[in-house]
Amino acid sequence: MSEEDGQRSSIRRRLLAFLISSLLLVVSAAAVVTYWAAIKSANDAYDRSLLDPVFDIADNVSVDAGGAHVDLPQKALEALVFDQVDRVIFQVRSASGAIVNGVDDLPPATGIAMGQPVFFDATYRGEKIRVAALQARNGFVVQVGETLHKRNRLIGEMLLAELVPTLLIALGSIAFAWLGVTHGLRPLEQVRAELLRRTSRDLRPIPDSLAPVEIAPVVTAFNQLLDHLRDATTMQQRFLANAAHQLRTPLAGLQLHLELLLRREVPAEMRAELERMHGATVRASRLANQLLALAKAESSPKETGAFQRVDLKAVAGAAAHDWAAKAMAGDIDLGFSLEPAVIRGDPLLLPELLDNLIDNALRYTPAGGMVTVTTGCEGEVAYLAVEDTGPGIPAAERSKVVERFYRIAGTSAEGSGLGLAIVQEVVDGHGGTLEIGERDGQGGARIRVLFPRVAGSEAPEA
Amino acid sequence: MHVLVVEDDALLAEGLVSALTRAGHAVEQTASGRHADALLRDGEFDLVVLDVGLPDIDGFEVLRRLRQRPSPTSVLVLTARDAVEDRVHGLDLGADDYLTKPFSVSEFEARVRALLRRAMPPATRWSVAGMTVDVAARRLRIGDRPVDLTPREWALLELFLSRPGRVLSKDQIAESLFAFDEQLSPNAIEVHVSRLRTKIEAAGEHIRTVRGFGYLWDGGDE
Repeated sequence: MSEEDGQRSSIRRRLLAFLISSLLLVVSAAAVVTYWAAIKSANDAYDRSLLDPVFDIADNVSVDAGGAHVDLPQKALEALVFDQVDRVIFQVRSASGAIVNGVDDLPPATGIAMGQPVFFDATYRGEKIRVAALQARNGFVVQVGETLHKRNRLIGEMLLAELVPTLLIALGSIAFAWLGVTHGLRPLEQVRAELLRRTSRDLRPIPDSLAPVEIAPVVTAFNQLLDHLRDATTMQQRFLANAAHQLRTPLAGLQLHLELLLRREVPAEMRAELERMHGATVRASRLANQLLALAKAESSPKETGAFQRVDLKAVAGAAAHDWAAKAMAGDIDLGFSLEPAVIRGDPLLLPELLDNLIDNALRYTPAGGMVTVTTGCEGEVAYLAVEDTGPGIPAAERSKVVERFYRIAGTSAEGSGLGLAIVQEVVDGHGGTLEIGERDGQGGARIRVLFPRVAGSEAPEA
Repeated sequence: MHVLVVEDDALLAEGLVSALTRAGHAVEQTASGRHADALLRDGEFDLVVLDVGLPDIDGFEVLRRLRQRPSPTSVLVLTARDAVEDRVHGLDLGADDYLTKPFSVSEFEARVRALLRRAMPPATRWSVAGMTVDVAARRLRIGDRPVDLTPREWALLELFLSRPGRVLSKDQIAESLFAFDEQLSPNAIEVHVSRLRTKIEAAGEHIRTVRGFGYLWDGGDE
């Protein structure tokens, strides 16, 4: 469980609290009952054995004119009540209450009936004792008292014998409750893990098979929500794509007309205006293209199953065809250093990614500079890098330049601020990494994108 | 040359027609795929500039029907930039080249020139960038001065001339030129290109190096 569960209600905690406390209650109640039953039978047994000397003494008391007297010699009498552990005392009293034999300070039994032995607890010289008393037919009363050491020892032993299994049962119950709850909640864990794995791009439904009957309605409702979200996202992306797509044809027409106009003889100030309009048209076209690319990159390529084996070397080679003339026109030396780098990716979006990197590099590199595209593999990683001799991207700006429409303050080059956002989006969709850094010690930017390499990339598909 | 422009966006179509007319071509234009199909069936065109997205039948269908007939017409397909599959599909159907929207007028003109030149019989004399090239006779003159080329240099020059403004990778050069020969190393290609470059230098620097990748003949028709 994560810490953020904090004070919120937890099914596991509630189940465990209820199960463990009720199990403990039952176990302790059972233990108490068994314990009292054991004490009672032990007490009864000791009481019965305490009665033996009472009867023995009573059998040896005779009553005559001189009153009651014990017929046994004192030694034999004492042997009757001898015990190794407990101190045993006795008392014989006549019907009149006079002490005939034994100790004189044993508390008298109350409510005693003829021929019926009674037991009671008393204190004798500061020690707790158990007393058995019997009134014989001729009226005298025999009482035998015994300290509680034997009893207490037995009770201790019984307590211990009771406690160990009870504790084991309690611990076992807690363990099984824990296991049971964990086991019972496992389907929930699976749903939770499935949800946690999701990114904003992955809007596929949660598999029904994961949901136990109890939360199936929740999963169904959630899947419906995902459905709506997916529809809305798809619609938004489709709208953006259509809008951008539709924009391009009129922009192409506009650009063409402006270029044809610029070829004519026009007054200088009108030429300047036309050139600015032409520049704006080209920028608008580029923006339309980038919006389209962004919309495409957002619609998770994994989900659309558009992933194929793609060699970044081939992607860069195609870019060489598209960009070489443009770079030369700006007096920038666009170069390539290409090794095979095969990944699984979207064959439409990866060129889009590279186009944006090269476009940015050319845009920010002054005339006479260099832009170099590199592809290759390092260990399990395939990379594509573009470095330039432009001003570079300050370290503080590196996390911001991937935000949409973000432009570094004070930069002069015309840009939409979407290029690196598209790159980031495509990289995310491919489970790759974007590294924004600088060219080794020479200033200028170096942007690398890293992707998991496909096994056997050394031998790209023919 | 007789060129058909099939494009339903009026502004773009007008621009294309205007650019082609200025270049001295006889141009017809239609916004309909069916109409284009009919025109291509009846008339002899050297080149058709074909937009893919048309209101009735799309450009691919027009192209497919055109290629079912024996026709020498070259086809330049205009595609949307996001549709790489369109380009591939178009080339599979028999398009000769494609151009992605939006494009600059000079890009368009260069493609048209290249296609029309390819459509011309090969034994013509070309006058390019201060050079006169007679492919059939294998004669090259720069100004009034004749220049001697080795067979490999001739092959290279022809390859470059057939792809003005297009980058040729060293791999492409090795494949298309020396397929019949033993494999040429990138270094050997560099040597041949550098020799050719020296020989035609007098006509201006036209073979440009794309570092680590290949070469580009920068058009030179202007």
